[in-house]
Amino acid sequence: MKRFTLSRLHASLGLAVAAATVTTALTAAAETSPKLFMAAAFTKAQQNSSIPTDAGVFVRAASGEWHSFGPKIQAVNSAAVDPADDSRIFLACGNGIVRSLDGGRSWRMVTDWRISDVYEIEIDPTDGDTVYAATGWGPWRSRDGGETWTFVDTGLPEHFTRSFALDPAHPQRLLLGNASGLYLSTDGADSWHRVEAVPARNILRVRHGAPDSGVWLVGTEGTGAWLSTDDGKSWHQVAPQLADANLYAVAVDPTDANTLAVGGWDVGVWVSRDGGKTWAQTNDGLPSPNVLTLTFHPEKSGVLWTGTFEEGVVWNDLNDAAGWQDGGVDGALTNDLGFLPLP
Amino acid sequence: MPGKSPFPRIALLLAFIVAGSCALRATPPTAPSDGEISAAYHARSEQLINRYIERTQADNPEWGSLPWVAANFARGTNLEWARHRLRELTKEPSGAMFWMYPMVLVMKAGEPHLAPSDWAVIREAWRTYFPFRGDTENHWLMYYASLYLAAETWSDLPPEAWYNGKSSAENRAEAKEYILDWIKITTAYGRGEYDSPNYIDPYVSALGLLAGWCEDPELRQQATMMLEYELLDFAVENIGGVYGGAHSRIYPKHAMQPALGASSALAWLLWDQHELTLNGSALIVALSGWTPPPILQRIATYRDVPYEHRELKRTRWRMRHAGPDAFEIEDHMTTPVYKYSYVTPDYLLGSSQGGLLQPIQQQTWSLNWFEEKPLGIANTFFALHPHYSAKEGTMYFGAEWDDVVDLIARSKVDYTSPDKMMSGSPYEQVFQSKSALIGLYDIAPDAPFQHLNTFFSRDLAEVTEDDSGWIFAIGGPTYIAYRPFQPGEWRPSDWTGLLAGGAGAWISARHDEWGAGHRVRVSEYPKNGYVVQVAPVSAYASFADFQTAVKALPLDFATEPTPTVTFTSLDGTVLSGTYGERPLIDGEPLPYESWPLFDGPFAQAARESHQLEIRFGTERRELDFDASATTTRIVPLAP
Repeated sequence: MKRFTLSRLHASLGLAVAAATVTTALTAAAETSPKLFMAAAFTKAQQNSSIPTDAGVFVRAASGEWHSFGPKIQAVNSAAVDPADDSRIFLACGNGIVRSLDGGRSWRMVTDWRISDVYEIEIDPTDGDTVYAATGWGPWRSRDGGETWTFVDTGLPEHFTRSFALDPAHPQRLLLGNASGLYLSTDGADSWHRVEAVPARNILRVRHGAPDSGVWLVGTEGTGAWLSTDDGKSWHQVAPQLADANLYAVAVDPTDANTLAVGGWDVGVWVSRDGGKTWAQTNDGLPSPNVLTLTFHPEKSGVLWTGTFEEGVVWNDLNDAAGWQDGGVDGALTNDLGFLPLP
Repeated sequence: MPGKSPFPRIALLLAFIVAGSCALRATPPTAPSDGEISAAYHARSEQLINRYIERTQADNPEWGSLPWVAANFARGTNLEWARHRLRELTKEPSGAMFWMYPMVLVMKAGEPHLAPSDWAVIREAWRTYFPFRGDTENHWLMYYASLYLAAETWSDLPPEAWYNGKSSAENRAEAKEYILDWIKITTAYGRGEYDSPNYIDPYVSALGLLAGWCEDPELRQQATMMLEYELLDFAVENIGGVYGGAHSRIYPKHAMQPALGASSALAWLLWDQHELTLNGSALIVALSGWTPPPILQRIATYRDVPYEHRELKRTRWRMRHAGPDAFEIEDHMTTPVYKYSYVTPDYLLGSSQGGLLQPIQQQTWSLNWFEEKPLGIANTFFALHPHYSAKEGTMYFGAEWDDVVDLIARSKVDYTSPDKMMSGSPYEQVFQSKSALIGLYDIAPDAPFQHLNTFFSRDLAEVTEDDSGWIFAIGGPTYIAYRPFQPGEWRPSDWTGLLAGGAGAWISARHDEWGAGHRVRVSEYPKNGYVVQVAPVSAYASFADFQTAVKALPLDFATEPTPTVTFTSLDGTVLSGTYGERPLIDGEPLPYESWPLFDGPFAQAARESHQLEIRFGTERRELDFDASATTTRIVPLAP
């Protein structure tokens, strides 16, 4: 995980607002190596109720156990950590955006009633005060570290925004997955322009490869996976076997941009090791063909994690033939799965 | 009961002379005065509160929810039990706003008897429990009304004293802004979760709390006016304590036995109809000290003169698939809903235009007939196309296409059942003129169900299948004629066994009391339709005469290639329509574009007006939300 030493003085920007004393199971710790998190709702055992049996952000300890992290709020969809300051953590929630400035010891909901159904958050790695939020009602942006938010929908014919990704080498460039297609902004979300090469269908997941890799991978509703290897200049459909699939999960190995993975409903996980030219179904040991989330380990090349629909989080080392291994969770619907420098 | 009004008490009290379109004249001196109405209301309020206290199981430490705790704290009774339950229910709060609002009731109504140690327990819960704001309008209103009042209770606390890290002042400001915005939208475009017999409960609860205990004068005034607005909305479509017509949300038990709804509990409290039943929103109103304006009771109970009533509502906010009729309010998409009700002393026949209007629990139309004591009676008749789809789910919720139906069915277990009793369908079109209603259906081949369900209550009498194709029945004081366009099969209403099997607490609890003994006519044809014609029993010398009159009515219909119909109703109105086209009434297309927010003898409101004029006789009560003012005046009698 790239670390920056930018001298952003949060206190002088008013960011050191006294925060809630909602405590978490974790205490602040010096250790900040990437940790696997999942934003999940335990829906498998949910019967005759609209409320999951458990929900929130969970972090996997080295022992393999999962611990609740942050406030226990229903409908948490994702989490993000400022690459420049790992004490600044954002949770994307049904309620809005909840932020910690002290590594998770205390939390504050930094949005008001106008923002809800937040699915993903992106933080500018060069300017942590610039934060983007993808919501069911459109994209929002903050220029002051999350204190205030502006609706940034110029150029979007529809609002529903499930996912987006920021180009880490050029943070003013963002790709946004909208209900009406894939959209690009080159001005930090001031305006959006449709990527015509990708079908005008609901875009489910957008991911970028390592900085300067030039790789973008997109999962769609009904038109499979779309890949760009030239930093978004051109796009082509990949994995023809999945041309009609709903692909909720895509991932690019941050240590090897030739290793790609996509997953979706009833198709399991498909992997390419040659930059998207060929794809192979990789379902040996996968507990369910219904895949919602995928993420590669940021430091262990070829180690892939996935979250299935209520049948567990599992992992697979693509470098061996052992297949999918139990990740220790059953019954969860994972809204997001990833690695973050959490305490 | 031919020739006899089912409203003898009210008819005697309110013997109005009616002119033109229900321009009612002055109330005669025999009608109860405002003071008498209010005094009787307060007596019922005390009766309700006392009933809660009487039925408290003070010797059972495991029993009792927060409303019971609030009632006992309010009156200083069973305090040891109340303190114990308060602590138990505050130890590990759950339910989000469904915990918040009764907790605020405890705090406000119970304030005289809450000890410092009680307050400490409550305070800690508000510091540590992080409730979900929910995913629909009633959730948000409950959440913010509760948060506002809690933040007003502890007006100067710093951010760290609250679960969300916002100070008391910040929480008050945000909550007030949301509530005022909700009122602004509702009084301009109609409510998104409209006219629900059971979901009236959270709206009245939230507004009742604010009307009773909010200290901010602006918010209190707006909430009080909005409470009145909501209850007027019910009063004009009330038939003997039952919320009639089309509904945005309804559960099977309330669809089949309407008096089980919260609205009926409110009807008893507010205007002495039906009978006393325990209900949280009624308790809140009773404890709040708020006094409903007497004009609401007059409107709710006066049914001597039939009237047409139109309303404009809207769908819940649509995330995706908003459709061609959608429009945007504050960056959120919605679609208009056109409601029409015909209200008589004997029945209320009400409908919306059909289509996919609301998620999961829509009731497009229903007939409710008057019953003096409706509890235990299934005084309703309706039909629907049972439908579910991922498109519907993703229209309103953020879940994914492939799992949204499954997730919905976790709590609404009948969502995917072919025998469901409420549903919005994209393949349904309904229109109505007074006592005649037409439904047309053209169900797509890939729709999950290809049939219609028509509910025949166990309380219908003399259900007769005539050789003409009409099916006749008697519901209380109402004759019903139903002409299906396609053959059908009679089945028990729980023919899949789902409801009788006990699936889902809200869906089927106590099914044997309200859900047993009914029949459903199932018609398995994708191109389908029906005509409904109702009439008061008092209008005909006999059931046979009614049947003869109906069978003589001109009716032409076809189901191929597209369902189409022309029907002349008992009052001579010609209703005609072809599926997918604008329906015609006497040759004129229904004027949806000009549909006002409220249009009837008792309520007038223009679109985007933020105003409502409530009318009864010469009395005019005006709610002006822009001016935050209520005005009552008497208009001169016409010469």
